[in-house]
Amino acid sequence: MRFKNLDALLDALSLHDQMSLSFHHHLRNGDAVLNLVLEAILHRGYKDLNLYPSAIFPIHHTIETAIKEGKIHNITTNYINGPVALALKEKGLKGTLKMQSHGGRARAIIEDENTIDIAFIAAPAVDEKGNASGLEGPSACGSLGYVIEDVKHAKTKVLITDYTVSKLDNPQISSSDIDYLLTVDSIGDASGIMSGTLKPTNDPLNLKIARLSQAFLQASGMIQENVSYQSGAGGTSLAITKMFIETLKNQGLTASFFTGGITAQHVQALEAGLVKDLYDVQCFDLTAIESLRKNKAHHAISASDYANPNNTKRKIKDLDIVILGASEIDYAFNVNVTTDSYHTIIGGSGGHSDTAEDAKLTVVVSPLLKARLSLIKKSVSAITTPGEHIDVLITERGIAINPKRQDLLKRFENSPLPIMTIEALQALAYQFTGIPKPTVKPKKIIGTIESRHGQKLDSLYGK
Amino acid sequence: MARSYLFIPGNVPRMLQNMDVYDADVIIIDLEDAIAIEEKDEARFLTCEFLRAHRPENLPILIRINSDEDSLMRADLMAIKGLDITGIVLPKTSLAQLERFTSMKPTNTTDLEIYGLIETPEAFFELDKIAKHPRIKGLMLGGEDLSTHTNIDKSLDEIAFHMPKSLLNFAAKAAQKEAIDTPVSSLDDAALIQGIKQTKTFGFDGKLAIHPNQVPLINTHLAPSKTAIHEARRIIIAHEKKGSMRFSLDGKMIDKPIIQRAQKLLDKAHRYGLLAGDAHAL
Repeated sequence: MRFKNLDALLDALSLHDQMSLSFHHHLRNGDAVLNLVLEAILHRGYKDLNLYPSAIFPIHHTIETAIKEGKIHNITTNYINGPVALALKEKGLKGTLKMQSHGGRARAIIEDENTIDIAFIAAPAVDEKGNASGLEGPSACGSLGYVIEDVKHAKTKVLITDYTVSKLDNPQISSSDIDYLLTVDSIGDASGIMSGTLKPTNDPLNLKIARLSQAFLQASGMIQENVSYQSGAGGTSLAITKMFIETLKNQGLTASFFTGGITAQHVQALEAGLVKDLYDVQCFDLTAIESLRKNKAHHAISASDYANPNNTKRKIKDLDIVILGASEIDYAFNVNVTTDSYHTIIGGSGGHSDTAEDAKLTVVVSPLLKARLSLIKKSVSAITTPGEHIDVLITERGIAINPKRQDLLKRFENSPLPIMTIEALQALAYQFTGIPKPTVKPKKIIGTIESRHGQKLDSLYGK
Repeated sequence: MARSYLFIPGNVPRMLQNMDVYDADVIIIDLEDAIAIEEKDEARFLTCEFLRAHRPENLPILIRINSDEDSLMRADLMAIKGLDITGIVLPKTSLAQLERFTSMKPTNTTDLEIYGLIETPEAFFELDKIAKHPRIKGLMLGGEDLSTHTNIDKSLDEIAFHMPKSLLNFAAKAAQKEAIDTPVSSLDDAALIQGIKQTKTFGFDGKLAIHPNQVPLINTHLAPSKTAIHEARRIIIAHEKKGSMRFSLDGKMIDKPIIQRAQKLLDKAHRYGLLAGDAHAL
């Protein structure tokens, strides 16, 4: 059924209090759909809503307002950044906040733990039959990987688009999975969706981390023919990826695949024949979108095919190396990328805990000092990724190998690299910062961090 | 003897804090040109307090002091009194400047090495005497100031700048002191590599750097290459086997200067941890 008016669409849907609504985050901080839909639903007086956005960005002010007005019961998401995090800390929810990983969210939807009544799907392009793609239109975002399970498993599926064409050649969403189509003036602001060109860091400290990382990867023996690799799109990760790709080139090697968020760097490696396939759950720049349109070895994949732990065909099952970040890490190598030291939510797992668990070599990179505090704590404020899945921490002042990786410790026994214990690395940080007073954990629990398998990893706290 | 000498401004806490992370062989904390006149006190205070609390181990540290005004130079010397530093960089070095510095009171800096920054035309007419001065440890070419004083185009392709480079290196080598080349002002890697190539061609031992990101390239390119180390090792092994200062190797005549050069190269490689069994610098 097709609509050109949101109110008419909402009239047609069976709306009720306590309903569960999902949204995806491929339009990132340029998304207009979540605010548009949620505002209209709240305006109709519905309450105690359960939200399942795959991620929440600063632009999602409607959630912030609804939290403050007590109209949201539960939120289940993978990442929160901006005012919504502050509203959650201040006010909390009637129900609970659950932070999942990308793979964990896909698993929970498939296994009916995340039961979604209506999936509102921002679709950059829709054809006359009702098929959808992220590759065209003014709000093109590339892969629609994070919404595929919502499309398959929500009780009701609604496409929302601002761009229609007569026919899409390779739609990512089939009209047969869709119940309703709404056409609106705009689904997003392109400037908030995509970066023009992401650049590797030029910061000397982060470059030092990148050089140490490259030296470590090289010495680990993991860079071989058919190596597979994933990293983020931050400046340090991009610098490490650049060096990794140069190593492939210099040593005449071809990687089997790169996965995760895809950037121009990955595309250039594909086009230079340095990697066989790109498995793309999210495009990070315009070059990646263009590549997804034209390169046959560049595949859009769903979150389940990317990281669902119960999907035996998930790509990261075969991942050799992953480069990840941290806002805190502790003596047991537990990593926090969800909160700051004051328990305010500043992010979330995304694919962090998924890839850390599956990859053969999980490398965490970060400056040793963050905002005048040591990165390394006795215990982290919140566990996003358990330490048992982290193999090594690389900072500008040294490298700490997790003692559970005795094989690596042995391999690097006589290494010229600055290998030390995580406690020794922390002592270096304390030379500058002093030993901070321990923070007091707030009493009010507002939610949980969940492992990709669905177990509770840690609690999230309010004021 | 070092490859890279990195200038960092004395009033930037983050750079002071991370001076040992940048991998420079020598750090030069700048109290002179990088610091505006109204920020001199702050830079002096921050530098000295930082070094008293956090001086990195095993890292040679030089301080470039002010030289234009007696009051500034004296204030610098007062501040660095008793500080654990390796030496000072003396701007606009001439015999007169050396005399002015060494006689300035109060100071107990008599044990500090002096690196003479050669950046005025006058200095080139007494370069041999400056180099032989007992307090001088090395000569540094200050290309920007020299260019200003002489109207020479500092562009790397300009042959006119070759003469000061050669003169400085000859004077330093004649006095068995270090010769350190002027920095490349461009932050472009290609320009830096071209500059380092010239540094090597003219026989300098090290090069000044004005940004931490210049250090890895300088260290890599001013260290002996694997091929050069291999060749030098073969020459020394053949020399030791034959017990002679004159022999042929692969159809090439080897004599004393070549053997000495090979030994110097191996010594240098050892210094930078590049020989088997050395701790490799990253």
